[in-house]
Amino acid sequence: MEWKRTREPADAWHMTDDLHVEQGKGDPFAAAIRATRMSMIITDPRRQDNPIVFANDAFLRLTGYERHEIIGKNCRFLQGPKSDKAAIAQIRDAIAGENDLSVDILNYRKDGSTFWNALYISPVSNGKGELQFFFASQLDVSDRKRSEHRITADKDRFEKAVKERTAELEAALEAQTTLLHEVDHRVKNNLQMISSLILMQSRTINDENLKRSLGTMLERIEALSTVHRRLYQSKDVSKFDVSDFARDLVSDLLTASGRSEISPTLDLEPIVIPAEKATPVALMVNELVTNALKHAFKEGPDGTRSGRLGIKMSQPDGHLNIEVSDDGVGMADANADASFGMRLIKSLARQLRADIEWRDAGPGTRVVISMPNGPQHKGDPS
Amino acid sequence: MIEPLKVLIVEDEALLAMELESLVEDAGHSVVGWATSLAEAREVVDSTRADIAFVDIHLTDGPTGVDVAEYIGNRKNAMVVFMTANPKRIPDHFAGAIGVIAKPYTMNGVTSALRYLQEGVRRPPPKSERPAGFTLSPAFETVWAPAT
Ligand SMILES: Nc1ncnc2c1ncn2[C@@H]1O[C@H](COP(=O)(O)OP(=O)(O)OP(=O)(O)O)[C@@H](O)[C@H]1O
Ligand SMILES: [Mg+2]
Repeated sequence: MEWKRTREPADAWHMTDDLHVEQGKGDPFAAAIRATRMSMIITDPRRQDNPIVFANDAFLRLTGYERHEIIGKNCRFLQGPKSDKAAIAQIRDAIAGENDLSVDILNYRKDGSTFWNALYISPVSNGKGELQFFFASQLDVSDRKRSEHRITADKDRFEKAVKERTAELEAALEAQTTLLHEVDHRVKNNLQMISSLILMQSRTINDENLKRSLGTMLERIEALSTVHRRLYQSKDVSKFDVSDFARDLVSDLLTASGRSEISPTLDLEPIVIPAEKATPVALMVNELVTNALKHAFKEGPDGTRSGRLGIKMSQPDGHLNIEVSDDGVGMADANADASFGMRLIKSLARQLRADIEWRDAGPGTRVVISMPNGPQHKGDPS
Repeated sequence: MIEPLKVLIVEDEALLAMELESLVEDAGHSVVGWATSLAEAREVVDSTRADIAFVDIHLTDGPTGVDVAEYIGNRKNAMVVFMTANPKRIPDHFAGAIGVIAKPYTMNGVTSALRYLQEGVRRPPPKSERPAGFTLSPAFETVWAPAT
């Protein structure tokens, strides 16, 4: 009775190898499974140790065993020392829990060689929901695994190379930054020394004209110093904020020179120019502002030389416009071409490809400079 | 007339120290001492009273300017203003200093700074505008230049 009941589903499948083989012969499904190139087996969980009860020829070809060597055995003979323990545990759990499972596992052939098996296991129940068999298919995916491994290895190698290269570059950058700071430090100190030398020298000179010359020279060097100080204060040493520079310059020239009677009007858009233009632009602005302070304002009845000084900077479409204006005596009497300051301004303008024009502002002078300044250098992103 | 300042100079470059001394004296103040290292600075600080100490970061015995500032701060016998080409080396808390004059400074920059400091020390907070090239420490920013 008991035997009859448990055997009945096997008969129904018509395809076990150890029982009633011949009965399956006429079954088209059984014939298809026997003949397919896909390796397949069926095990019987109701027997002791869940043995293989059917294996098709593809399974035998894949594993290298003879049919009689495996029928009645548990599938674990496919496992070996390098089979992943976690994958084995997954299979065990799937069988115990009667679940289906798809897992890649390294299996061993009869001759000891290995292959990657994309294993699929699924429980088969009868109409009453009782477990009858496990069906398992095996697919040799060694090629896929090999390329997966190669890709992982390549990726690891590549990541390692990138990491090494990054470390090298970071070290190089750090060395360069240190060097830049060192050079910057020296340049600043040297500029400071040059200023100090001129100042000390001019203290020993009694000739007023000579003293004034040295004073002008000091102003020019200090304009350079201010450029350098501002340039290396910012995060990005390749950009220079001209408006901030102009603010510094004017306050520096006015506040301590005792010319408090001159009221500056600053109308400065934030404008950034490339570092290589910083020095010529700064020198030019310095010349124009010192000229206005020196020459524009005539002595009034109170003994002071008061007046208005204006600086305007704007950047309409890719241009930098600078205006330095005063409401002083104007340039009608100036002998412009003879002197060094004028020549310096004009040469710097040529270097910067700038148009420069002295206009009569009635009263006073308005100097207008216009030069190309790419839109990528805008200080204000709006 | 506000009382002039007594100034201590901690600077390893003789040329810069000399010139700074002239600038200080031209502005009507006096220089009470000059040190070129941490050890010298300690000696001068212990034996002299000053209102302001101008302290370079790099001295003959290395980047010891911050230590000098801390020493002066503990003694409480002067207020420190850093004067350096390397403002990035100053710690965030400024070691108690008022601020920093970044090198290269201009002659006018120092003269304005002296006037500003004189007002700040004698009659705080200072009336004059903060000079270009002079940066206040966060602590003094809140007292001398509160945001309005
Ligand atoms: N804003 C101005 N207002 C009135 N006159 C001016 C103005 N700018 C220049 N000038 C006149 O133009 C002349 C030439 O100026 P320039 O800058 O070339 O020489 P400088 O300032 O006298 O000497 P330096 O060569 O030291 O600059 C001046 O001497 C002055 O007469
Ligand atoms: Mg001139």
